[in-house]
Amino acid sequence: MAKVTVDGKVVEVPNGANALEACRAAGVEVPHFCYHPRLSIVGQCRMCMVEVEGVPKIQASCTVPVRDGMVIKASTEKALAARNATMEFLLINHPLDCPICDQAGECKLQDNAFGAGLPVSRTSEPRRQFPGYDRTPIGPHVIADMTRCIQCTRCIRFCEEITQTGELTFIERGGHTIVWTHEGKALDNDLSACAADVCPVGALTTKEFRFRKRVWWLDKTRSVCGGCEIGCNVSIEHRDRVVYRFLPRVAPAVNDFWMCDYGRFRAEELNRQDFLKPEIRVAGGAAERRQTNWGEALDAVKIAIDRARNEEKREDFASKGKEEKILFIGSANLTTEEAFLLATLCKDSLKVSAPEFTVDIGPKRRIRNKVDGWIYGAEAAPNSRGAEAAGLKRTKEGDGSALSGFLSLLPSKKSSSSSSSFPAVIYISDANFSEKCSDPAFVAILRQASVLIVHARTRNALTDAADIVLPIAPLSGKEGTFVNAKGLVQRVDMAIMSPPVVRTDLEVLLHLGQRWSAFDAQWTARDVFERMQSSVAGYAGLAWDSDALVGNPPSISPAAAYDVLGLERDPDVEVFSRPSVAAPDRRS
Amino acid sequence: MSGLTPTAPVLLARLGKPDSASLGTYLADGGYAAWKKVLGGVKSSEWTPAKVTDVVKASGLRGRGGAGFPCGLKWTFVPPKEKRGDKPVYLLCNADESEPGTFKDRLLIENDPHQILEGMMLASFALEVKHAYVYIRGEMVRGAEILNKAVAEAYAKGFLGKDVQGSGLDLDITIHRGAGAYICGEETALIESLEGKRGHPRIKPPFPAVSGAWGSPTVVNNVETLACVTHIVDRGADWFKSIGRNEKNTGPKLYCVSGHVEKPGVYEAPTGIPWEELLAMAGGVRGGRKLKAVIPGGSSAPMLTAAEIAGVPMDFDGLAAAKSMFGSAGIIVMDETTDIPKAVANIAKFYAHESCGQCTPCREGTPWLLKMLRRIVNGEGKRSDLDLLLQISNQMGNGMTICVFADAAIAPVISGITKFRGEFEAYVTRSTKPEFEQLASSDLTIAVADRNAAGVHS
Repeated sequence: MAKVTVDGKVVEVPNGANALEACRAAGVEVPHFCYHPRLSIVGQCRMCMVEVEGVPKIQASCTVPVRDGMVIKASTEKALAARNATMEFLLINHPLDCPICDQAGECKLQDNAFGAGLPVSRTSEPRRQFPGYDRTPIGPHVIADMTRCIQCTRCIRFCEEITQTGELTFIERGGHTIVWTHEGKALDNDLSACAADVCPVGALTTKEFRFRKRVWWLDKTRSVCGGCEIGCNVSIEHRDRVVYRFLPRVAPAVNDFWMCDYGRFRAEELNRQDFLKPEIRVAGGAAERRQTNWGEALDAVKIAIDRARNEEKREDFASKGKEEKILFIGSANLTTEEAFLLATLCKDSLKVSAPEFTVDIGPKRRIRNKVDGWIYGAEAAPNSRGAEAAGLKRTKEGDGSALSGFLSLLPSKKSSSSSSSFPAVIYISDANFSEKCSDPAFVAILRQASVLIVHARTRNALTDAADIVLPIAPLSGKEGTFVNAKGLVQRVDMAIMSPPVVRTDLEVLLHLGQRWSAFDAQWTARDVFERMQSSVAGYAGLAWDSDALVGNPPSISPAAAYDVLGLERDPDVEVFSRPSVAAPDRRS
Repeated sequence: MSGLTPTAPVLLARLGKPDSASLGTYLADGGYAAWKKVLGGVKSSEWTPAKVTDVVKASGLRGRGGAGFPCGLKWTFVPPKEKRGDKPVYLLCNADESEPGTFKDRLLIENDPHQILEGMMLASFALEVKHAYVYIRGEMVRGAEILNKAVAEAYAKGFLGKDVQGSGLDLDITIHRGAGAYICGEETALIESLEGKRGHPRIKPPFPAVSGAWGSPTVVNNVETLACVTHIVDRGADWFKSIGRNEKNTGPKLYCVSGHVEKPGVYEAPTGIPWEELLAMAGGVRGGRKLKAVIPGGSSAPMLTAAEIAGVPMDFDGLAAAKSMFGSAGIIVMDETTDIPKAVANIAKFYAHESCGQCTPCREGTPWLLKMLRRIVNGEGKRSDLDLLLQISNQMGNGMTICVFADAAIAPVISGITKFRGEFEAYVTRSTKPEFEQLASSDLTIAVADRNAAGVHS
């Protein structure tokens, strides 16, 4: 550690830090553009100028390594004049299109122009333009507008150092320098939209968010991406019940500053309005389903389950073998709280075997952080570890479980041999637990049950075949916790209250459980969380409101996201100390 | 002052001889004597790397590229073997001569390449270099061809390669052609360019002597500096010191005199020759006209008026005392017919074109200066422009940028306006538009021009 004096205040910073970081540690704001805590230092925006005692020339603070006893003067007249100068240079050619620029409101150039700029412009020369290099897509998600570019090279360094794909480069020289893709290449990698995140101005914007909302109107809710088991911390940015975008929330141990394009652009899914309604089919498989209310739908579920339980008892009594009459199928899309309710209902109230679940192994996703390097995710759902810890049984092919039996039956259309021992009731808590749910052949197998109950967000082949449909809310309407690939418990907050016709899985299970006096329908996710702490591995000692669960606040802006970190260049120094969470024991 | 009496040319000794670039001519003139001498003394430890460095140090040789840093001292900054470990040391010969008004290195390369190569060999020996590079400016196609041929000749004669002349030393020299960027003459940009990247100057420290090409200790020397090393090792430090004005400005020096003189060209003279003598060598001011101004060290040096340069010794310290710069000794002479604002605008165009675009003040400032100067010489200047030009210039230089390019770009602007303000004011006052119209036209115009009109590529 080095003791550094910044504007008279003494701070201790790690030896690897630079003067800019020392200033931040001392609470002295030094404006900057090209510095980013996860990217290499280039010192070329010349915005973070400070005076260092003993050095005659003014210094770009990000390029000055700290040493013990260093005295930094960050607010002298000379330093402020130098920043004024840099701001003036940046603004002489920057277009005055803030009113139509998506970055406005979260733009570093705006912020620093207010903080370090002059109130007037002294230039009267024509502004530089880049015909052909403005408003042009340079990849599937990113649109480049080089008239706005301030040549900080963050995006170039991002592509070189983080994704290591190197699509972007400087083209031309001097005042004509632009950032563009290499000839014939596109900015097309799995994290490409992060290049727009690191852009401090509106030069790189994402196609998906462009012109959709002024950023200062957006409400921000902490959540966790449901795309895979990595569990990237995200901020759901929404307004008036419309989700406009996901932005990564800084999580040094998980997704750091980044998130993948697949996860980011799942945001639009949350805006689908094709909610189902509670429906039941009364007279067996033949009759049409009819819309009903929640009370009747849940009563029908209870009746069906109770009838099957009674049959089971009778068969037991007649010692005809121990065939399960009721099969619960869980999902890795459930929060741990929901999975816990489902497992508890089966175990304590209904005395049936534990719910089974399976996870699709999908395309490999990856994210990079400074602690682990690349981490990979292959599952198509966020919470398989949490579901397992909560008591759900993950099935594997050929392990003799009912669900794996159904899945393995799939190729040979339909098998009559299993029909004799087929469960009378199948309760599926997620109509999209696997992509096979859209496969009519698989649905036909499940349909052999006399009563098929599903929780469903959207319509698919399975919901069409079901007898009782319980419409549920998407991720933006949920509350609870997920356990990610590293075993970290992370909280999801509710961003948008879903329409009254749909309920969250948690509410459905609570109300259903109340019918067997198992649960209280007034419980919240937090109540369930506190009740399950003693029995779910990895949850002991966690607090619902702790920083470890909640994560960092949603960034004020993607460009300002790193501001919450302060010092984060030295890998040995952990700025946000997180309580270590033991990975759930999979054997339990 | 005997050191200033003209001697027979040393660096330009072979100039004008038939086939002067060939190895045969060089050997016939006693070439490679120093290299053979040093190689012969390796086994007996008569010549050690430290001894060569000491000789160069004792000679007082200062870098001929522009900064005038003592060459021997620069060599000693390379960390010793214990500190640098397995890392190789690289020697780079900076042949990216592109300072406007400078053309001495090209002359040496095209007419006497072996002199440079021998200097490189000696410097490589002093620095324990196994692989040296010549970074030659892209435009110098002929120079690169000649150098390549010279290197092939040197390999064939056994002056390069494995176990040179049975001394147990290995040395390779590679000629690398740049892509024609002025900034690649800056040593760290040169290194970046040699590594295959964009020619962007690096942040210093670390200095190249500690971490240069491919992260290894690297010494970058100018062509003329290395040519001098040949003669220093050959004839001794005392001989070198006997030439020149004083202890700190020694040796023969090439002066590139251009502009309004009768006989523009490269002149070899002792370092520190008085201005009048140098002007006389070049035949005096063209057509007997009056001298108006001189840019004494390439376009980056502040210009001097005729009165200021009178009697000034043309060397590093003499010109520094006159508040200018010796630089690369590219002396541009301007007679009384010269339009200084147009000359300054012309130089500004060069710098706006060549800025690498890395640092904001330089990237944005150089085109801004150019646009304003163009407007002034086009008769659309404003009274406030002159002070604004000075203010902008002042906020570009003095550490605001990574390299000194911006300081070089503002030098002619500041010196031109302060020393010839009357001429600029004449342009502004005879501006074609009244003051209120100037404001109305230029302040409210939004650019619709294409990039050529808006920028510097006209």
